[in-house]
Amino acid sequence: MQQTEHERHLTVALAGNANVGKSVIFNQLTGLDQMVGNWPGKTVERAEGTLHFKGYTFKVLDLPGIYSLSTYSIEEIVARDYIAIERPDIIINVVDASALERNLYFTLQLLELEAPIVVALNQVDFASKRGIEVDAQRLSLALGVPVVPTVAIGGIGIDELLSTVVDVLEGKVELKPLRVRYGKEVEERLDNIESIVREKLPELSAKYPARWIAIKLLERDEDIETKVRSNQNGKEVLEYANAIVEEVERLHGEPSSVVIASERYGIVNNIARDVTRIVSPPKTALEERLDAVTAHRILGYPVLIAVMMVTFATIFVAGDFLVGVLDSLFEDTLIPIIAGALSTVMPQAFVDLIAGGFLSGIGAGVTIALPYIVPFYIILAVLEDSGYLPRAAFLMDSVMHKIGLHGKAFIPLLLGYGCSVPACVGCRIMETDRERFLAGLVVVLVPCAARTVIILGLVGSYVGLPAALALYLFDLVLVFALGRLAFKALPGEPVGLIMEMPPYKMPSMRNIGKKTWARTKDFIYIAFPLIIGGSVVLEILRSTGLAWSIADLMAPFINGWLGLPTITGIPLIFGILRKELTLILLSELAGTTNFSQILSPLQMVVFTLVTMIYIPCIATIAAFVREFGWKRAVGVVLIDILLALLIGGVAYRILAAYI
Amino acid sequence: MSIDSDLNEFLELVGKFEAENRPVDLSTIALELKRHVNEAEKVLKTALTSGLVEHNDGVLRLTDKGRSVVQAHREHYLHEEYGHGHSLMGRVTRLLEGRVRDWRGHWRKRHGFDDRALENFYRSLGELKGRIEEIQTLADLRQGEKGVVTLVLGGHGLVRRVSEMGLTPGTEVSIVRSAPFHGPIEVKVRGVSLALGRGVASKIFVKGLEKDAANGA
Repeated sequence: MQQTEHERHLTVALAGNANVGKSVIFNQLTGLDQMVGNWPGKTVERAEGTLHFKGYTFKVLDLPGIYSLSTYSIEEIVARDYIAIERPDIIINVVDASALERNLYFTLQLLELEAPIVVALNQVDFASKRGIEVDAQRLSLALGVPVVPTVAIGGIGIDELLSTVVDVLEGKVELKPLRVRYGKEVEERLDNIESIVREKLPELSAKYPARWIAIKLLERDEDIETKVRSNQNGKEVLEYANAIVEEVERLHGEPSSVVIASERYGIVNNIARDVTRIVSPPKTALEERLDAVTAHRILGYPVLIAVMMVTFATIFVAGDFLVGVLDSLFEDTLIPIIAGALSTVMPQAFVDLIAGGFLSGIGAGVTIALPYIVPFYIILAVLEDSGYLPRAAFLMDSVMHKIGLHGKAFIPLLLGYGCSVPACVGCRIMETDRERFLAGLVVVLVPCAARTVIILGLVGSYVGLPAALALYLFDLVLVFALGRLAFKALPGEPVGLIMEMPPYKMPSMRNIGKKTWARTKDFIYIAFPLIIGGSVVLEILRSTGLAWSIADLMAPFINGWLGLPTITGIPLIFGILRKELTLILLSELAGTTNFSQILSPLQMVVFTLVTMIYIPCIATIAAFVREFGWKRAVGVVLIDILLALLIGGVAYRILAAYI
Repeated sequence: MSIDSDLNEFLELVGKFEAENRPVDLSTIALELKRHVNEAEKVLKTALTSGLVEHNDGVLRLTDKGRSVVQAHREHYLHEEYGHGHSLMGRVTRLLEGRVRDWRGHWRKRHGFDDRALENFYRSLGELKGRIEEIQTLADLRQGEKGVVTLVLGGHGLVRRVSEMGLTPGTEVSIVRSAPFHGPIEVKVRGVSLALGRGVASKIFVKGLEKDAANGA
């Protein structure tokens, strides 16, 4: 490979509002070697990729889609700290040409953060379809930074965007960024705060631009206030700034943050009006007519049900098919072959450990988790990219408020009926940490397909369908009750819905494929070690006979409290691996598939109740750890075990008294 | 109705005309109040004798005392109309509260206002141009109706967020649709569609616009 002198590693960050085609540009820029992960310590998706262009190697980073650089969501704090502290070499600010005003509001804040930016004026095709023509040159003049029109979906303008980035980096194009000027009253006071900040807080103003700190203090930004307070002269600066805030608020009769936002919008409105031409009167576009049906107060619901049913059907048909194929491939072909090969070189006990633990673990991951997860990721990407998700959330908001969540939580909740794993992952569509966790807590209790098998196979077949339905209903009540309880118990305010309803768009296959691939890769890295480790431990328990000792230890709970035969402890342990195993193991242990010989109807109901509630399977635990961290995962597992024991025992006593 | 409510409306009107720099006379007030001039005169006399308004070069002005009466009226009005929402639960809650004595404490304890929010709330009330009866929440508007944002009631975070999403005072908003069962409403603001939860929408106060007037503007 030729090593040129300007071969350097540079960082490009993509920043902009949500739904402006940022991730499409990201996928255009990077190849398949992208990594989707989390920001350190945060459940905020961090997508990273590499790009080679004109001898440069770029690290491309996709920042979360946000509307402002304040402290409303974790995403905003992550983004602004990254821009201010890590200082990427250049930022591509993706701007939606059809909603210029709101998008430029964010651009102004990037300029205030003194970030080097190039603007990608995206979706110019969509804008002109709506009769909006934006003059990129004029916009560039107004902002003092290069503006490149793009149509990311079609790959139009991407090369020019990159050339412009390189030109800026090589100094061929100079940035003369607009200095955002507020009204006289605000501007004078900003200057005063700025010089105090510069003088009294040298450390902090080395980290963030002093003027930006001044603006944030004037906006009463909690995060910056905390940072200032922790400095030596912090108190003094804060007192000074707060006095000025008071002054501004007295002058304007509005909260200072509103004053700043209004002035920013004033500036942006002027720019937008100056560079935009309305060429044709906007006519009702197809997507608006689509909206009239899909978000309609009555018609919207049948559409929602249909969409969900198609989602379900696809996940299950595809999932079941893949499970069938992969399961027979693993269990009947691969594992016996490998085990056979291994037994020629090592003692049988090791072979059992590898085959029963390690390989079965991989098998469980590949044959249970992936077949449901991959179709789910594909559908999630379609729903995300098309813009349907916000409509579903809009319609379901009032229902979800009953358990303290807003409309978006409906999506992971429903997915839970299929498989808890994608449901857990789906919780990240919630904005705040609190809401994500609340949703996660609830979705693992929703009876997934495996649990449905047990409910129907045991209670449904031997006790009767009404009893099975009653259990299903009970679970729904439990989900609701627990959600409400957690909602009351968890600290923090419920967040009201403030959500953009982006216009419908045709999703691009390429984008969906890349998103799915990156997310699947991430899941495999995190979840597989856990699933495999768990299987090895369970195999050791089985082969050493420890499982039986544990079952004996559990006897007081299983037999005394729940009224079940001691032997059922074993399937309950192995049910952690996969829930439908409980039934298979039970029949193996009892030596019969006729469960009525070992369990009374009452015991069947109790057994099913406990299986339904006690622990999500190991794949779910892995997903939960992935999304919410170890501490919370352990907490949820403990809560679920206790809840299962409590409800099982109480149900046993109540039902025994009546039957 | 009672002389009290007439007086309040009268004071609001004086404040409104004063803000608009329009000289105010009895007949205009009577017209706005939908009362006979004689009745309006009676109200004016009461206001003058209690020192709530004063004559200044033939123009009526609110005194400081009058201003604080207006402020209190606005506070009570907002609380009565919007403090607990229009749901049955809200009405019952309001009924159970009885008479409020310590208003600051009440907003703090029952409505989750912190010190900052409270300061801003009183400031906004004082600065409100026009009569308090003219404003309503976004949640009260119907599909297709338009309004101009006048004030946002709520904690620091919400107020900031709402204005950052483009709903700054003076901005025109129109209602696109609303979801059933007290669900969210979809509004169009600055060319963008936003879904606002009912709780959020009922904290955003607007001055309603006539459909035609809005089109002309």
